[in-house]
Amino acid sequence: MKPSGSTRIAVCAAAVFILLFAALQLVRPRIENPPVTADLAAPLEVKQILRNSCYNCHSNETQLPWFDRLAPASWLVANDIKEARRHLNFSEIGNLPAAQQKATLYEVVNQVQLGAMPLPQYLLIHPHARVSAEDLAVLKDYLNPSAPPAAPDDAAKATADTQYDKWIQVSSRTLTVQPELNGIAYIPDYKNWKVVSTTDRFDNHTLRVIFGNDVAIRAIAEHRINPWPDGTIFAKTAWAQQVDANGDTRSGAFIQVEFMIKDSAKYASTKGWGYARWRGMDLKPYGKDADFANECVGCHNPVRRNDYVYSFPLSGQQ
Amino acid sequence: MRFLLMTAVALLAMTGCDSTKPEPASINQQAALTGQLPYNPLAWKVVTSWTNKHDATMSTLYGNDAAVAYARSTAGTAYPAGSILGLVTWAERDDPHWFGGKIPSTPQSVEFVRVGETGQPEYRLYRGSPLAHTDAGADAPNRIAYITTQRAAVMP
Repeated sequence: MKPSGSTRIAVCAAAVFILLFAALQLVRPRIENPPVTADLAAPLEVKQILRNSCYNCHSNETQLPWFDRLAPASWLVANDIKEARRHLNFSEIGNLPAAQQKATLYEVVNQVQLGAMPLPQYLLIHPHARVSAEDLAVLKDYLNPSAPPAAPDDAAKATADTQYDKWIQVSSRTLTVQPELNGIAYIPDYKNWKVVSTTDRFDNHTLRVIFGNDVAIRAIAEHRINPWPDGTIFAKTAWAQQVDANGDTRSGAFIQVEFMIKDSAKYASTKGWGYARWRGMDLKPYGKDADFANECVGCHNPVRRNDYVYSFPLSGQQ
Repeated sequence: MRFLLMTAVALLAMTGCDSTKPEPASINQQAALTGQLPYNPLAWKVVTSWTNKHDATMSTLYGNDAAVAYARSTAGTAYPAGSILGLVTWAERDDPHWFGGKIPSTPQSVEFVRVGETGQPEYRLYRGSPLAHTDAGADAPNRIAYITTQRAAVMP
C-alpha cells in the first residue's frame, strides 16, 4: 500500500527536523575549562557540597552531562556558565581578599537558603545538585562557628574616636557630594527620617540602621509594603562594630550609606528601584560605572517576591 | 529534551510551584511597642544603636528634636532643657531573610531620660509585655549616665 499524502508529509517533516538537529550540532559553543588558579580553600565537607551543587557553573571545572551538550540546549548552557563564572568563580576566589571571600560565601548560603540557587530550572534537570537542609547547616556552621564574644579592640576604638572627634566639630556643615554613577543625587536629609529597622550583621561585623522617608513610613502604617509605593526611599547606614569593655557592641566608624529609590517606570531596568551607595567620610560614589547597580539587583533578586526588599519593618512610627 | 523541560519549568514557575521561598514581606509585629508609654520614641530621630552579645539584645537610642540636635553637634552629656531621649531595647533574633544578620524581636525595655526646666534629668523605665512603668530604684542615676553618655552615630 502506498503511503497517504499526510503520512509522507509527516515523514518529510521528521527527516527535515532530524537533519536540522544534526546540523545544529555542528555549531557547538566550546565550553573551555581555563586553569584553576586560586581554588577555594575550605574543609573537605564544605568543598564537597559546593562541588556537587555549584562548581558545574561557578568554577573552571565544568563537567556537562550529554544532554547539556546538545544544541540548542548547549548554547543556553554555555551562556549560563559564562554568566555564572562572571558572578562567582570558585576556581579563582582565592585571589580575593579574605573578607570578600567570606562575604561571597555568606551570599552563597543566602542565595541557597532563599531558593534562588542553584537555579530552579537547573535543579529540575540536575536534581543531584540540590542543597539539602543538612548541607546548608554544614555551610552555616563553617561560616559562623560558635565562638566567645569578641574582645574590645583598641585600634577600632581609636579609629572610631578620631572619626567622631573630627565629625562632631563640622557635623552641621553640608558636604559637597558627587552624584552616583547612574545619576542619582545624594540625599543628605536621610538622617532625619524615621527608623524602619536596625540590623546586627555578624557576617561582616557591621551595625546598620535603615531609614525610610515619609512615603515609606506611611506605606508601613497602611500595610502597603509589597509592592512598596512609588516615591518610597530607604537609606541604610553601616558602621563598623566596636566592642567596648562593658560588652556592648557599638556603632563605631562610619562605613557607608546606601539608598533604594522606588520608581517603577524610571528604574524599570533595575526592577523598579534606583540604587546608590556612598562610602567613607568623603562620601565617594560607589562603582566603576553605571552598571554597578546590576550587583545590587543580583543580591536583592532572591527577595524579588517581596519587591526586592529584605527588611522586616518595625511599625508604629506615625 | 531540555527545551521540553524548560517549558515545564516555565509552566511550574507561572503556577508558583517552587520548593523554597523567602518568608513573605511582613511587618515585624513581634517587635512592636505595646503598653502605655508617655512618648512614642519610634516617631523620633535616631541618635545611635548598639547590641549586647551577652544579653542577645539590640538597642536603639532615639531623641526628640532638641535631644538629637544636641547629640549631633556636641560631644557633651549636658542635654538642654526639653530634651528627651528614648532607649528601646529588643531581644534579637535571626533575620529570616539573611543568614549573617540579626533583627529586633520582642521589646525588653523602654527607658526615657527627660531633661526638665531645671536642667535636672528624670528617668522612667518601662518593662514587660505589655510595657508598663517599673520602679528603677537606686539604678536610675546609673541608667541616666549610661544613656546620656552614648554619643551620636557618625553620619557625614
